[in-house]
Amino acid sequence: MKRHNLPEIVALVLTLILIIGGYFWQTDQKPRLIIATTTSTVDTGLLDYLKPYFDKKFNADMTWLYLGTGQALSVASRGDADVLLVHDKVREDAFINSGNGTHRVTVMYNDFVIIGPKEDPAGINGLNNATLAFQRIAKSGELGNTVFVSRGDGSGTNTLELKVWNNAGISPKSKSWYLETGQGMGPTIRIANEKQGYTITDRGTWIKLKKELKDLKLLVEKDNVLLNPYSIIIINPVKYPNINSELAEKFLLFMVSDEGQRLIGSFKIDDEQIFYPIFGKVETIGLPSEQQEVEYWVKKLIENGMQPPSYISIS
Amino acid sequence: MGNERLAGWDDIIFGIVKAFQLIFSGNPEVLEITFLSIRVSGLATILGSFIGIPLGATIALKKFPGKSLIISIINTLMGLPPVVVGLALYLLLSSSGPMGFLHILYTPEAMILAQLIMVVPIITGVTLSAVSSIDVKVRETAISLGANGLWETRIILNEARLGIVTSMVVGFGTAISEVGAIMIVGGNLLGYTRALTTAIVLQTSQGAFAEAIALGIILLILAFIVNLFLTLLQIHSKRGVYVSSFFGGISGTFKRR
Repeated sequence: MKRHNLPEIVALVLTLILIIGGYFWQTDQKPRLIIATTTSTVDTGLLDYLKPYFDKKFNADMTWLYLGTGQALSVASRGDADVLLVHDKVREDAFINSGNGTHRVTVMYNDFVIIGPKEDPAGINGLNNATLAFQRIAKSGELGNTVFVSRGDGSGTNTLELKVWNNAGISPKSKSWYLETGQGMGPTIRIANEKQGYTITDRGTWIKLKKELKDLKLLVEKDNVLLNPYSIIIINPVKYPNINSELAEKFLLFMVSDEGQRLIGSFKIDDEQIFYPIFGKVETIGLPSEQQEVEYWVKKLIENGMQPPSYISIS
Repeated sequence: MGNERLAGWDDIIFGIVKAFQLIFSGNPEVLEITFLSIRVSGLATILGSFIGIPLGATIALKKFPGKSLIISIINTLMGLPPVVVGLALYLLLSSSGPMGFLHILYTPEAMILAQLIMVVPIITGVTLSAVSSIDVKVRETAISLGANGLWETRIILNEARLGIVTSMVVGFGTAISEVGAIMIVGGNLLGYTRALTTAIVLQTSQGAFAEAIALGIILLILAFIVNLFLTLLQIHSKRGVYVSSFFGGISGTFKRR
């Protein structure tokens, strides 16, 4: 009864060895940092740009979870990420106040812009008032002339968009002209392009995509409400002892150091700057001062032999 | 412009060209992603076979009360939505979850576990139906020839060998093409838990369509190789190759307990 077929068995054994062997074969493991972040820092390529510098400096492996700010905060509040890089001040403050985070530092900013079809059926081109623009889009939408495409995913961009709707006195949910994609910024802009609709986006993702989306145009910018500051939050190491808080702190130090701030400022897509370093001078864009945090981290930078940005005077 | 006719096709065509460039240039990142997919899905399938094949065969061969209920449950589980598996497993493995002490969230191990959960019902179900469909006469003949329990099992499993191998191939196919579960529990971390499917999702959302298509083609090639293996086995088995003695042995041990 037993008729062993040699090639068959050899093939089977080899497959097993290959897969199991492959499983145990791993490249040298460097300490891994898991950043929970928002889609724009990934979609623009900023983190890919910073990774080699960080990895080399700290002999680490910088990785990130590609999430919206909302999901990033909830993943972090379950202790599943080492550090946060997000952009939604209200929820960031809530995160800190509930004891989940210990430090929050604004490291860079850019701004949101309203984009839409070249024909601009709502007539918002050139406005520098986002609220007024949203009112016109809603009016045009009610007439069936256009649609607004929303992230609808609880991200930082989505939160800001809802804030503008709120300012405009309009509740757009479930309106026929209001589409919620539930996706990241890139896919949402593409959907706006297909639907010939309006949407709000961070400038970085727009710059990245604009050359391939020829039917869309930047229409509204430079309203104060459209300011988009990004912060790093250090997650409470007492509450979450399993996270890599040491490397998380190194990441913050790297980002606020002279080198990190310069790198952020030098990151460009098609010769356009995407993010503006702002550590230690948030007052200049009208945000509340973070002097205590700035002093704390400048001291830490010096302790770690790193250079704070030159415009910060060391007292 | 002569290119007018090709308008809109460029991403797809460029993607296909790019795929072969990536495959033949041995791009380390692509290799890493591909090997991770094979490693995770292969291991999930092998572990799943050790559970699913004996389980399916046992359920098919034994008579017990509630058998049809069990079969219905297995058939339902064969269609487990990957996202739900991922979400449930995330909540279990999360640092704040009941199994957080394992510290395997965002590791390949978590991805293997997620795919194992999906693959076991499939391998069990397909094995079950393959073994059940063996003619009763085969069993009766085996018994009449004086076969005892273990011997009978081996004869039946040998008869059902193709169905059993199919169950593994179907399981592997489900595992390697799945994205929802490994995205959530693996986290799609670059160079660590980024698999073919999760990389395709990321590249699509970043608008790198050509690269996404390229990885899709690699995925298709893998599926093709596995199916080719199955077809070769089918051709071989007509010549009476005894492939399932390996599985028969495992299942026999299981049954004796």
